[in-house]
Formats: sequence, structure tokens, C-alpha cells
Amino acid sequence: MDGDIAGLVREISQNPAGSTRAAARLMSLLENHPTRIPEVHAEFANWPEPLMVLGITGPPGAGKSTLVDQLVESYRKRHPQRRLGVIAVDPSSPFTKGAVMGDRVRMMRHATDSNVFVRSLASRGHLGGLALGVKGVLRVMGLLQCQLVLIETVGVGQSEMEVAEFADLVAIILAPGQGDGIQLLKSGLMETGDVFVVNKGDREGASQLQSQLRATLNLRTSGRDSHNRSPICVTSALEGKGIAEFLDLLEEQHAKYGDEWIARRQQRFKQEIEQAVLEEAQRRLAETLRTAGIGQDGIAHILQGKTTVSELATRLLHLGAQDTSQHNEGTADERKSEE
Amino acid sequence: MQTANSRARILIGKPGLDGHDRGAKYIVHILRDAGYEVIYTGIRRSPEQIVEAAIQEDVAAVGLSLLSGAHNELFKRVIDLLKARGASDILVFGGGIIPASDIPGLREMGISAVFTPGASAKEITATVDRLLSAPQGA
Repeated sequence: MDGDIAGLVREISQNPAGSTRAAARLMSLLENHPTRIPEVHAEFANWPEPLMVLGITGPPGAGKSTLVDQLVESYRKRHPQRRLGVIAVDPSSPFTKGAVMGDRVRMMRHATDSNVFVRSLASRGHLGGLALGVKGVLRVMGLLQCQLVLIETVGVGQSEMEVAEFADLVAIILAPGQGDGIQLLKSGLMETGDVFVVNKGDREGASQLQSQLRATLNLRTSGRDSHNRSPICVTSALEGKGIAEFLDLLEEQHAKYGDEWIARRQQRFKQEIEQAVLEEAQRRLAETLRTAGIGQDGIAHILQGKTTVSELATRLLHLGAQDTSQHNEGTADERKSEE
Repeated sequence: MQTANSRARILIGKPGLDGHDRGAKYIVHILRDAGYEVIYTGIRRSPEQIVEAAIQEDVAAVGLSLLSGAHNELFKRVIDLLKARGASDILVFGGGIIPASDIPGLREMGISAVFTPGASAKEITATVDRLLSAPQGA
């Protein structure tokens, strides 16, 4: 695979509407090398950000993909000029690493709409309900000028709530027939929801679920949106019922909290960069430790009481700093010669 | 830049009007068990939808399943559309009720492999493994 992040970023930013292939490749590249995500920014200042990143989560079979499909339809009708992206995550096998990604089956009518970009991701052993690749795909969807990005998680149980980290707003999709009110009292997933959807609203038990949910949410004092009663929408995604009301609700939330969302994303991105810097530093120090040989000698000296871990760490950092400054000069020269 | 965690992605599509996807789902299943990340489109898709999805998903290969007899037309359409989108490096293989006499023509238009009823899971995954590990000309 082509490792040229810079070239792909340039190609996409110059022609966001006509660079589907480049965008798809960049997504793969960042999915396979998540530590390279911060590199995308070298090519492009003022990275475009979506208006809203909406997380769609809930148990398997609750109707998440069908709801996403209807939401895409409804959003495209309401905002014909706007682009939107869908990231659909399905689980990988812990045994074979293989995965079946079937969320697209419900969304294929949008495949030829050039304003809709759907990307499926396999969780690849990641346990929080998402995949490591989500970060990178989200960046690229921003660059593609997507105004709304929907992240559909794997079907979740009670404790996969990583989507709350990436989404501005988390919608929890429930359907009747999946347990009594006690399930709603449990910690974890239920606490992350900003908005709730009772899907399959035409089925028996839907209004009971809705009232149990209302009762539970009225007691809620923890979680991200504790100052606000979380709204509940009743939908029947298969029939397209309740979708317009759900979209109204999302747009209301955007009007209220849009600025907060941007600030939170910036904060998260800072943390991601910090993390990437730490990982890179650790990789380089490990290399220095290996090549400078202070590993073996050092261990012997510690065992003989001649030195301490702290002294060795200081020495390693000194040696690492020398290596690093050489490394930096190297890349600066390379950059000059490229120009 | 292939690493241990970059795995080949394959899209299985059902172009045209036949609604029987037991075979397609079987292929999805065996490729999954062979360690591939497999995206399924569902039934009754147009070649345009399949090609667009393949490009957005950045797959290495597309598998087409077809039982209606329209393979000569619909497989060709997929190959042509991939070419038009500058994506001929995406391999295409196919399977279904396909007369032996049509296979040479399909191979000639650029279908890398054709599987017919009776093909074993082992044969299919071995062929896909081989196709995807061979260096691909653009």
C-alpha cells in the first residue's frame, strides 16, 4: 500500500467531491497505522470539522443500521447540499481475525449518492464497541467536508461505551422485548446516552419501555448531560416513522451544544497527539536502550547495587536526546533537499 | 506498508435481480473464517452500487454471486465501471450458476476466478489467498 499520507491529503483537500478513491485509501492507511494520524495535519491547516458526530449504539438487532439508513435519507432530503459520512463497526473474530461487515446491507440505496460516504470497519480485537480505525476515518470524513458523521458501534451489551469519547452526542437505540426495567437501572452504557430512541415502536411493549426509560432517566444525576432531561424518541425505522422528529431533536441539540462539541473535539485531539508523541518517544527510547547496551550492563549493575533505576533512566534520556537531535537534523535536511 | 494488522478486505456483491443469496452468504462465511474482513452488500444491487461500495471500502477484491444467467452482462459492467473509476487494481472473482462454456469469456474480460456449484470451501479460499498474495498489476 502507498504510504504517502501527504499526497493523499493534498489530493482530497483540492477536490473533496471527486476523490473517493484517495479518501478510501487514506482511511485504510490510517486504520493500519493509527500513530500516523497526526501527520495529516502537516499538509493542511484549518482541518474542516463536521457540524455533528453522532454515535449510534445499542444491543444487536435493535435496528441501528436501519435507523442510520433512514437518518441518512431524511438528512439528505432536508439538506440536499450537505455531505455526510457513516462509519459502521462490526466485530472481528478473536479466533480467525476475520469479520463480516453487514451494516451496509441496510444502507445500499445510498451507495451511488456522491454525498454519502459509508465506511465499514472491523473491530480488530478492540473491545470498547468501536475500532481503532475510527479516529483516522473520522479525520478523513472531515476533510471530505462531511457535515454529519454517524458512527454506528458494534451491537453492544452493557459496558461498551467508547463511542462517547468520539461522538459529540450518543444516541442509544433500544427495542422492546429485551429485558425489564432492571436493565435500565444498570451502570455503564445507559449512563452515556444523551438521547434515547425506542425503536420498533409499533411492537408490543414499546410504550411500556418508553415509560420505564422516562422514569429511569428522570432520576439520572450522573453522566455527561446531567443538567438536562435526556430526550426520548419513538421510531419505527423500518417504516420510516419518527425519523423526522429524531432529526429535529438532533438539530436542536446541535443548536444548544454545537460550540461545546468543537471544544471537546479539540481537547480530545490534543490528547491524541500527546499520546502519539509519548508512543513515538517510547519507541525511540526502546531503540536507544537496545543499541546503547545500557540494558544488559545496567541490569547487572542494578543487581550488584552499583546503580539505581532512576540513574539509568536519566542516562537513557540523555542518550535518547542525542539520538533524537540527530534524527531531527536529518529530517530537516531531508525536507530542505525535497524543496 | 503491510503490517501484521492490515488485513485484506473483500466485498461480496449480488448484482441483478435474483434473490437467492445462500451461496453468497456461504462465501462470506468461509472467507470470514479464513481471516478476511468481508463486507456484504445484500441482494439485488446494481453494478454501480457494488463498484461505489468497493471503492469507498477500499477492498482488495470483489466477489460477485449470480444465479440468474446475466453474468456475461453484469460481470462485464462491474469490470468496466471499475476501470472507468481508475480502480482496475481491485480483483474481481465470481460464482454461481455459470455454464462452463461461458468461463473462458469471463476470464478474458478480467474475472480472475469463477467458482461453480460443487467448488469446495478449501478450493475457494486457497484461490482467493493466491490471487491476493500475487503482485497485482494496476
